[in-house]
Amino acid sequence: MAITSTCNCKLAPGQNGKSKHAYCSTESHFTDKQTFQEGYEGIGKPRNRNGIESFEEVPMSVALLTYMGWGIVILIGYVKEFLLSFVPSQNPEKNREGYAPLYSSFESFYTRNVYRPIRDCWNRPICSVPGAELVLKDRVTHDNGWTFSFTNTFTKCLNMGSYNYLGFAECEGPCATAAQKTTYGLGLGVCSPRQELGTMAIHKELETLVARFVGAEDAITFGMGFATNALNLPSLVSKGCLVISDENNHASLILGLRLSGATIRVFKHNNMKSLEAKLREAVVQGQPRTYRPWRKILIVVEGVYSMEGSIVNLPEIIALKKKYKAYLYLDEAHSIGALGPRGRGAVDYFGCDPKDVDILMGTFTKSFGSAGGYIAGSKKLINHLRINSHANCYATAMSPPVAQQIISSMCIIMGEDGTDEGKPTTLGTAISEQSLFPPKTTPIGFNRLW
Amino acid sequence: MLKLFSTFIECCKKVTILESQGLCFKTSRRAKEGKNSHISSLLPMIVGGHGDVNPNSSWLNGKGFWLSYGLAVLLLHLMLLCLPFISTAVAWTLTNLIHNSFMLIFLHIVKGAPFEPLDQGKTRSLTHWEQIDYGKRFTVTRKFLTVVPVILFVLTSFYTKYDTSHFIVNIIALVAVLLPKLPHFHRVWLFDSNDHSY
Repeated sequence: MAITSTCNCKLAPGQNGKSKHAYCSTESHFTDKQTFQEGYEGIGKPRNRNGIESFEEVPMSVALLTYMGWGIVILIGYVKEFLLSFVPSQNPEKNREGYAPLYSSFESFYTRNVYRPIRDCWNRPICSVPGAELVLKDRVTHDNGWTFSFTNTFTKCLNMGSYNYLGFAECEGPCATAAQKTTYGLGLGVCSPRQELGTMAIHKELETLVARFVGAEDAITFGMGFATNALNLPSLVSKGCLVISDENNHASLILGLRLSGATIRVFKHNNMKSLEAKLREAVVQGQPRTYRPWRKILIVVEGVYSMEGSIVNLPEIIALKKKYKAYLYLDEAHSIGALGPRGRGAVDYFGCDPKDVDILMGTFTKSFGSAGGYIAGSKKLINHLRINSHANCYATAMSPPVAQQIISSMCIIMGEDGTDEGKPTTLGTAISEQSLFPPKTTPIGFNRLW
Repeated sequence: MLKLFSTFIECCKKVTILESQGLCFKTSRRAKEGKNSHISSLLPMIVGGHGDVNPNSSWLNGKGFWLSYGLAVLLLHLMLLCLPFISTAVAWTLTNLIHNSFMLIFLHIVKGAPFEPLDQGKTRSLTHWEQIDYGKRFTVTRKFLTVVPVILFVLTSFYTKYDTSHFIVNIIALVAVLLPKLPHFHRVWLFDSNDHSY
């Protein structure tokens, strides 16, 4: 994401001089000093406050070579399968007379011919905690990816593949010690959903802490981040409601919205004009055939989008939602803990009021070194969710050491653990140190995601 | 069988009407009423997880596909031109035939997708052409794939100097590859004896 500091729509210089504006509007600046927290400058200061973002386009040569590579591999696969069809099957399914075959052979074409030869790139076993560094267990394949054998050597690597925005994913330190103690005290598993027997004191403590952290009235937590989206959206919207969701929303949001039965309209990624057009059309036209007004309109966006690395244009969206009386669902999976001077997410980054966002959702996987998700908002909303959420009724409660890890890391970020680790300077350094690829070192062709 | 025959007759009538109007891509009202049975209206690119239910529907829309396709056809033609024992006319006809047969096989005969779909098998009975953009009609990709055989046919006719036997062979190939692309042939599989009522 290239950064400019001017607002007159000049193309931002990308790594190879080419970039495409995803969103550019000269009327919607949000650099106003009023929205910026007074007196805070320096580390952690948001960098693209002028509202222009651009995404680097794939160069044509790369696209051509990719298609060519795919074409060759797939053609070879087809030829091989065609020739092999004359040879009787090497490993037929045993004891399956009268049953339909387990796999349609065409459906596993891709796995057999394209994925398998290069399978070594993924799912590598490691033998350490996936923190900032990890220890890889080396393996080789002598038959083109069908089987692997270990070479009994180990490689220490820099970990670029795990969610560890603030460095809490370690097996030593105050968080790990506290989690260990909790395991001894409270056990590993709760074995019950929250509504039956699964609510423990540690869950209550976690929820009050989360509510305080994000600045909402109350919060509710779940054991799985994906499930937080997928299982709670059906309790919030249903048939007759309209959801306007961003183009690049995560699969969990899409699944939750499909499960809910609401009507979904999609607006162009981070494009406020597109969003406003859809809102106007919805309010004016109403439901498709009956023209009745929508029961409610919900805008679903994310704080930071995982693939593009773009940050939501929150002040504009809040202004739009107030103008058209819609509700806002903000998924801060990647931004909670990582954005903002105090680490409170996208709301903190833009200096907006958390009460303006109706439903604040987030996950603990990325910045807190843990697992699970939360939804924060008004007491009424959370009470409704406590009764009506599928995840609360049927899914197991969050495990105690996982909850303890979140509590410890959140206290550190808030500065309440007595040490200086959570202070903005340290946090800010951690965040800015994440940018390991400043612009001048990217000619090798990496696409920076931030 | 009778249904197929009546569909075929109706479609031939439509083709003549459309071609006489010179509007190959205009839909009739009846065609528009046909159901677009997929949830595609909610699912453009979904990233960050298993979002796209059937990637087979959208990989043809990618950047660089048109250029790669053109280059592949060009490469095929150049390879055929290298053979010393065939004339240019035969080389062009062969290019046209091979391109059309590949297109017919991969887009209109092979059913399903080469990977497990996330939609519980709804697309197992659909050809690739029917899966493009989740069945949405007259998208840019579909228009491109319809126009390419026509362009190739025109070029072939020119380079074979409008010879009758070449023309007959090429026009049959063109019709064979354009016919399944018409909206009326959506989910009509002529030589497939399997029951695809689901």
